Amino acid sequence: MGSSAGWALLGSELSVLFRRLRTWAMLIALAAVPILIAVAVKLSSRPATPGRGPLFLDRITQNGLFVAVTALVVCVPLFLPLTVGVVAGDTIAGEANLGTLRYLLLAPAGRIRLLLVKYAGAVAFCFAATATVAASGALAGVVLFPVGPVTLLSGDTISVGESALRSLLIAAYITVSLLGLSAIGLLISTFTDVPVGAMAATIVLSVVSQVLDNLPQLEWLHPWLFSHHWLGFADLLREPVSWTSFGENAVLQAAYIAVCGALAYARFSNKDVLS
Amino acid sequence: MRWLVAMTRAQQRWLPALLIPVALVMAVLFGSVQAGAAVSLPSKTADEILAMIARTDVRALSGTVEQSAGLGLPEVPTTGPGIAPGAASALELLTGTHTARIFVDGPSKARLQVLDQLAERDVVINGGNAWFYNSADNSATHLSAPASPASHGHESMPYRSTMPTPEAVARSFLAAIDSSTEVSVGDARSVAGRSAYRLTLNPRSQETLVDSVSIDVDSQTGLPLGIEVRAKDQEEPAYSLAFTELNLSTPDAGLFEFTPPSGASITEEVLPPKPVPALAAPPDAGQLRHSGPAPTGEGWDTVLAFPAGSFPPGFLSNPQLSQALQPVAGGRALTTSLLSVLVLDDGRVYAGMVPIDRLQSAAAAQ
Repeated sequence: MGSSAGWALLGSELSVLFRRLRTWAMLIALAAVPILIAVAVKLSSRPATPGRGPLFLDRITQNGLFVAVTALVVCVPLFLPLTVGVVAGDTIAGEANLGTLRYLLLAPAGRIRLLLVKYAGAVAFCFAATATVAASGALAGVVLFPVGPVTLLSGDTISVGESALRSLLIAAYITVSLLGLSAIGLLISTFTDVPVGAMAATIVLSVVSQVLDNLPQLEWLHPWLFSHHWLGFADLLREPVSWTSFGENAVLQAAYIAVCGALAYARFSNKDVLS
Repeated sequence: MRWLVAMTRAQQRWLPALLIPVALVMAVLFGSVQAGAAVSLPSKTADEILAMIARTDVRALSGTVEQSAGLGLPEVPTTGPGIAPGAASALELLTGTHTARIFVDGPSKARLQVLDQLAERDVVINGGNAWFYNSADNSATHLSAPASPASHGHESMPYRSTMPTPEAVARSFLAAIDSSTEVSVGDARSVAGRSAYRLTLNPRSQETLVDSVSIDVDSQTGLPLGIEVRAKDQEEPAYSLAFTELNLSTPDAGLFEFTPPSGASITEEVLPPKPVPALAAPPDAGQLRHSGPAPTGEGWDTVLAFPAGSFPPGFLSNPQLSQALQPVAGGRALTTSLLSVLVLDDGRVYAGMVPIDRLQSAAAAQ
């Protein structure tokens, strides 16, 4: 008992998570996205038409720092939710499937702590995944293209140093955006012993949420969808920075964490752990 | 007995799981009830509120406005390459919901930022210079006022008053108040965190499409904070424009200094001005009267008649405008829940806040 045991459990959870071949494979796949974009733009003989393709694609050749932002725009709808869904869906169901859940729960009052530790592991992965895309994009951009002052959506220009700060803010925004999805994955994971099922369900939900967000007939539902603010990080690229969507996104994700966390606790504390 | 104990334990564990969603729902409900709750303010007559608006002396502000239009217009393609600023984007801005940030400092400096998803359209006005910037295609247009012999240097841009603030839109309606309008005071409410009086204008006429116009007036400064136009036979407001955030301190001066980013395609233009491709306002009867068209009818039933050749030749054949125009007898028409426009084959254009058959009979009479 005590907090030291909790920290030890978190340490071992993180080391298991980040020593896994699967985790590394996903992070490498994410790192490859900005590199692919940068190389494709570099090798292409035709300049990109402004206004076509993902955000800032046409400006990469002038400024390599845009590679990271373009890659994040590409990754947010599918690749990031995909990898987060795999990690979050695996949290409880994976242990149940391997038969290790019983041993993890031997300590008294261990269930809440185990849930918290598992969720913290998923959160750490959200951050690692976003940071990987941003860092690999920044690196690929610096290597392949010239670097200079960055143009914001408002048409104003900021220095390289400030653009690094804004990139960090964007990474933080996207990490926060994925917290709700992680909580949903954790909840689904407590309902099944088949990790693949929990992963698939989490990923499908992230796609469904984005599809619903695009249907104008369901406008009343949009503010309640966890993916509603996913692309709102563009507000950090305005001058002055608009914090509205950052705040709304944080509140929305916190609500999803509270609801899914409470349901996951209730389900998990009533779960029969036989194997 | 044992199963009963097990049940209660299970119930105890499900309890927090149910309490948290219930608490959240209650918080949301309570929040929305509070937002719509009436605010208590010392009561004022309609004339006193009109005087407050007339006296308002807000020179600087920064705020966020939200506009939503339910005019029943068809969805038009949004911005993209080759879409000129002007008619097309003005039409696009008349559909759906848009959020914009407005910064104003004195009579000569203003900036408008239309916040699109992953994009932004900017209008920066500073003295005799105006910049339009569109981040979607990284294009910038620079307008400069011609040097005028009368005043030293450049003439100021005439755009300041056309910034789509609730104030500008409200003033265009207030300018038209006459005996055909019934003015009343509604329940005070909270707009952008400020308490506001609500002034309601009701046309006495049965002909017009307008059911009512409500203006929320800041109780401290007299600044119009929001405007809502309702159309007859429509439950949702046909047009609303209101601050969601408002700060009356002077914005950072750097916001009004615009340098186009390197790599942007830049177009240089000198006035004569064209209308700001901004959040479009309903037609300002008072303003239009000066620029040529002949009005017929009175008050809310006014029909504006533009003689042939009032618009540049390319304007009416603009593909997006053409898409919105429906063929009718003798020409093409744009019908919305609030406004009708009739474009005759001979080039004459009629517009008004009346049903389309009123425009047709006005056209036939001339």
